[in-house]
Amino acid sequence: MGRYPRDTTGYSAVMFHKVLVANRGEIAVRVVRALREMGIASVAAYSDADRGSLAVRLADEAAYLGPSPSSESYLRIDRVIDAAKRHGAEAIHPGYGFLSENAEFAEACATAGIMFIGPPAEAIRKLGSKTAARQLAIAAGAPVVPGTERALTGWEQARAAANSLGYPVLLKASAGGGGKGMRRVDRESELQSALRDAASEAGRAFGNSEVYVEKLVIEPRHIEIQILGDHHGNLIHLGERECSIQRRHQKVIEECPSPLMSSHPDLREHMGQAALKVARAAGYTNAGTVEFLVDRDANFYFLEVNTRLQVEHPVTELATGLDLVEWQLKIAAGERLTLRQEDVTWRGSAIECRIYAEDPDHDFMPAPGTIVHLSEPSGPGVRLDSGIFQGWNVPLEYDPLLAKLAAWGSTRETAIHRLDRALAEYVLTGVRNNIRFFREVLADAEFREGRLSTSFVERFFKTRKKTEADPESEAAAALVLTLESNGSGSPPLTKVSTNVSRWLDSGRDELLR
Amino acid sequence: MKRRVIVNGRSGTIEIEGSRLRYDREDGVLIEGEFSLEGTSVLLNGRSYRVSKGAGTEIWVNGRQLSMDVFDPRDLRPGQGMAANHGRQEIAASMPGKVIRILVAAGDTVEEGQGLIVVEAMKMQNEMKSPKSGRVVEVRARPDATVGAGEILVVVE
Repeated sequence: MGRYPRDTTGYSAVMFHKVLVANRGEIAVRVVRALREMGIASVAAYSDADRGSLAVRLADEAAYLGPSPSSESYLRIDRVIDAAKRHGAEAIHPGYGFLSENAEFAEACATAGIMFIGPPAEAIRKLGSKTAARQLAIAAGAPVVPGTERALTGWEQARAAANSLGYPVLLKASAGGGGKGMRRVDRESELQSALRDAASEAGRAFGNSEVYVEKLVIEPRHIEIQILGDHHGNLIHLGERECSIQRRHQKVIEECPSPLMSSHPDLREHMGQAALKVARAAGYTNAGTVEFLVDRDANFYFLEVNTRLQVEHPVTELATGLDLVEWQLKIAAGERLTLRQEDVTWRGSAIECRIYAEDPDHDFMPAPGTIVHLSEPSGPGVRLDSGIFQGWNVPLEYDPLLAKLAAWGSTRETAIHRLDRALAEYVLTGVRNNIRFFREVLADAEFREGRLSTSFVERFFKTRKKTEADPESEAAAALVLTLESNGSGSPPLTKVSTNVSRWLDSGRDELLR
Repeated sequence: MKRRVIVNGRSGTIEIEGSRLRYDREDGVLIEGEFSLEGTSVLLNGRSYRVSKGAGTEIWVNGRQLSMDVFDPRDLRPGQGMAANHGRQEIAASMPGKVIRILVAAGDTVEEGQGLIVVEAMKMQNEMKSPKSGRVVEVRARPDATVGAGEILVVVE
C-alpha cells in the first residue's frame, strides 16, 4: 500500500494515480522508484534501444515512443503525450534533458489535460534564454558578472568598457553558446584583434556578429542553489551544491555542502536569497536550480537557471534528508510546501561522481558497448542511482551516463573515504569508464583540501602521473586466462552464469552428509 | 603448464604447477607464489585479487583495466601472430558508432595521419586516421551505417 490512499481529500490535494516518465537511463529509474514508494503507478516511456532497459523492467507499465534516435522518440512531444493518454497517466515527469526544459512541451501537456511535473511554461520561457535570464536577474537584484548589458557598437566603446571592468575580460557572442565567439583578453593591446575575431566567429556560427564584454572570472567555482516552490506562494532554497569538477563543461563530481562554506558561513544564505529573488521574479514553482560562478574572493555571480530536476540532486537529498522527486510530485499535485525555510538543515557531507561510459585516457571519448561484468558497491553511507545491469548494451544514441555513485559521511573527509571505498568495490567491465579516474581525483591533494575550480580537471591532467597495475595483478589475470583457455579451473568469466548445477551439487552434498 | 602472456604490449610467460605459479616478465620482473582460484576471486600469496573479463582482450583486476592475451608458445609459428603487418593495413572502428562521413575513396593516395572516415557515437565524432602513407584499396564503410567495434572500415596498402 502506498502512502497516498486514493480517496485523500481536504487539505492535501488528490495525488496522481499514474505518472508517465518521459526519460531514460538512471533518472527514469529514480523517478519510477519514487512513484513506487508513493503508491503511484508508473509508466516508463521507451525507444527501441531502451526496450530492455532497467526503467522498463522496474516500472508497472511501459509505453513505446519510437525508434532509437531521440528526435524520433524522447524529443517527440506528440508521441510522449499520446503515450500518456494511451496509458491513462495524469501527469508526466520529464526527468532532465530531452523535453524537461521545453516550454512548448509544458504547454502541450496543459492542452492535453496532463500535469507537467515542473515549473510553468512561462517560467521556463523567461529563464530559457541566457541573456533574458541575465536581464531578469539584474532586475531582481541578483549579482551578475559585471559587463556591458548590450552588444558593443564599436572599438572605442569596447575599450572604455574593458578599461572600466579591468583586465582580463571575456568577449562573448550575444547569440552565443558552446564557446563560439568567445575570447579571453588579457590586455588592451589584444582587444582590437580579439574583438574582430570574436565578431566574425559569432557571425559565422550564429548569423549574428554581436559581441558583448564581461569581466573574466578567473578559476571560478561553480556553485548552484536548489530551490523548491509550490503553487501557493511558498518558495524555499535547499542550499548549495558545488559542481566545480567538470570536463568538457560538464560536471562530473558534485558535493553538498561546498567546501567553501566552512570558511564563509554566510555565503549559503546570501546565495540562497539571491536565487530566491530570481525564482520569484520568474514566477517559479516546483524544483529548480539557480547556478552561480564564485570567484576567488567568494563573490558570486548569477549564471543561469536550470528549470528542472538536476542530475546531481542526490547530494542535496543526502545532506538535507529530503526527497526532491517526492516533493516535485506533491507540488505538481497541488500540495502545499509544508516545509519552511527554517526546517531545512544540512547534516554531514555528500559527494557524488557520475559514472560515464567514456575513456578518461583519451579525452573522455564516449565508449558504448555491452556491460560484461557488473558488481555494484553498497554498504554504509553509499547511494547508487544506476540505470544499468550486467548484459545491458549501452546505446550509442544517448548521453553515456551509466550511474551516479554518492557517499555520505559526517565530515567531508569521511565522505571522501567512503566514496573511494565504494569506487574500489565497483566492478564494471565491457565498457571503458571513469571509475579509476575518480579514485585518482579523490586522492588529489587539492581536491582533498577543497581547493576546487572549473579548471581543476585540466590542471589534474597536466600533473597526473599514470600508474601501472602492479605485476601481481598481471599474474592474477594471466592465471585466470591460462586456466580458462586450458579448460580447467573456474568456468569462463565472461558467461553470465545461468548454470544451476552448482546448486544441485551442493544440494546433493547436503543430502549425502 | 606454460603460456606466453602479452600484457599492455609487454610480453612475459606464466608457468602453473599445481597451486604454484611463476610469472616472468621480459623486463626482469618476477612473481612467484601459491595461488587459489575461486570464480572471479584469486588469492596470490595471501593477497586478494578480483579478476573480471571485459570485451575482447580487456581484463580487469581490482578496478584496473589491462589488455592481455595468453597463448600457448607452441602454437606460434614464425612470421605470424604478433608480427607487424607490413603492406596492407585494415582500419577498424575503435568503438561502436555510426559512419557520418567518408573522407576518401578507393584508389586515393593518403598520407600517414590523414583522416579517412568519421564515426559518431554518443554525439561525439571520432576521425579515424590512416596508420601509414599509401593507397586506399577498399572502403567497406557505408554512409549512415551503424558499425560495431573492430569492424573493418577502410583498407590501406
